[in-house]
Amino acid sequence: MNEDMQNWERLRTDIAYRTKMEKRAVILAAVRDFFRSKHFLEVETPTLVSVPGMEPHLDPFQTSLMSIDGARRDAHLITSPEYAMKKLLAGGLERIFEIARAYRNGEPWDGGHNPEFTMIEWYRANADYTVIMSDLEQMVVSVAKTVAGSEKIQYQGKEIDLSTPWPRMTVAEAFDRYTGIDLARGIDDPEWFRHAIAAKDVLLQDADSFDDVFFKLFLRDIEPNLGTDRPVILYEYPRSMAALARIKSSDSRYAERFEAYCGGMELCNAFSELNDAAEQRRRLEEERTLRRTLGKDDYGVDEAFLKAVGMMPESAGIALGIDRLVMLLTDAATISDVLFFPARDIF
Amino acid sequence: MADTTDLKRDVFIMFKDAICAVADFQHVNPGKGSAFVRTRLKNVQTGKVLEHTFKAGESIDLVDLERSNMQYLYQDELSYQFMDNASFEQHGISKDLVGEKGQYLKEGQEVMVLLHGETPLSIDLPKKLTFKVTEAMPSEKGDSAQGRVTKEVTLETGMKLAVPIFVKEGDSVVVNTETAEYVERA
Repeated sequence: MNEDMQNWERLRTDIAYRTKMEKRAVILAAVRDFFRSKHFLEVETPTLVSVPGMEPHLDPFQTSLMSIDGARRDAHLITSPEYAMKKLLAGGLERIFEIARAYRNGEPWDGGHNPEFTMIEWYRANADYTVIMSDLEQMVVSVAKTVAGSEKIQYQGKEIDLSTPWPRMTVAEAFDRYTGIDLARGIDDPEWFRHAIAAKDVLLQDADSFDDVFFKLFLRDIEPNLGTDRPVILYEYPRSMAALARIKSSDSRYAERFEAYCGGMELCNAFSELNDAAEQRRRLEEERTLRRTLGKDDYGVDEAFLKAVGMMPESAGIALGIDRLVMLLTDAATISDVLFFPARDIF
Repeated sequence: MADTTDLKRDVFIMFKDAICAVADFQHVNPGKGSAFVRTRLKNVQTGKVLEHTFKAGESIDLVDLERSNMQYLYQDELSYQFMDNASFEQHGISKDLVGEKGQYLKEGQEVMVLLHGETPLSIDLPKKLTFKVTEAMPSEKGDSAQGRVTKEVTLETGMKLAVPIFVKEGDSVVVNTETAEYVERA
């Protein structure tokens, strides 16, 4: 009612909000139970690091670390615990998960975003991303049963059936189904792809890269259709969007990456992990160049991370937004409804 | 030059040679790749709504608008009629363009009308307005489904509003015109 009321004050009178926050605790406990029952080891890695993620379109928070003699070193808050967890895989741990705080600067404070948020990452050695897909489905269903007592949930006025297996669609199938455009041909012939997308009445700029052209249509015509009454796993992304994923061995146009959509939200991002240190170095340098071009802060490459990538077994892993999972399972419209202290109350 | 950070609700832009009102916008960051701004744009001439995704940072063409203080007179089937307080000229704006803001209009209400050249496009309302409650069920319990004890009342303009249960018929209440929420008893 009162627009000036902060969430901690809402607790006193707003029973629905308080219930959501109580369910949040139940969800966190259920997630931990699920991974323990699958013999995953819970790990804790630093959120304060020297080299953050290199991802060109993310802005990490910067600070400086002062030692007792007053010397200062650059320090950053993590945008995800990925680098550290891969070092643990390289160290020989085979099934690990972490529920971590992650931080991203320069993003909107709205529906699904808060500058400080909670994510879970889990990794399996000797597995590819299809095993992670099964983990994901089973985990969400098991948590939903604990917190909602059913595989069917109500989210923002719609019923979503979470039962496994979730529908799976490649990105190319989604392009074909919702736009009629042949993505494979588009990857081989970016000029043709531009024309095909422009013909869909999408306004393109000369400077738009393949990925930009892709997302302008994807966000308008494909994503709004995903995960409305059933969750959907969208997999095999164009290789230019591989990030830290392995390229598919049978078709080098695609990377073994997937995302899951549910209730209009992107829940997670997962890969068969790249474990080729030379290729990883090449991609990091490419991203570093792009960061400079975009006028973002420039970091050195994390050499220990590169060493770890070269020592890692074949593995697969995933990052999933816990706050979004809580939103989904408590029927919350915005992330601020599932936090005690959302950024808009603090700053 | 304006860019995507200037995209806000009710801003007018030139898009594909037509004046469009930004009906809705949402920042999206697909994770790998640039950020984007997803928009719904309403063509003010045809009333048609189209969707477009801008890449964050792209330049946009804001439409120059003039503002005139006007007084609301009355409504007819398709439009709301206003009188310019300086020139005493009368201007009609289609109900479609005024949209939900129409529910706050009562005779004599002063508003800021946004004009492109001679053509009125939209109105700006004061952030808080006071209305008389014309219909309110005397209720003891109210609707606590959302965990808040409220009830629905009708205001003099016909607008429905959720208010705390102590509000009675004949009371005046202050409404936030941006969020359509009850603020306080006047």
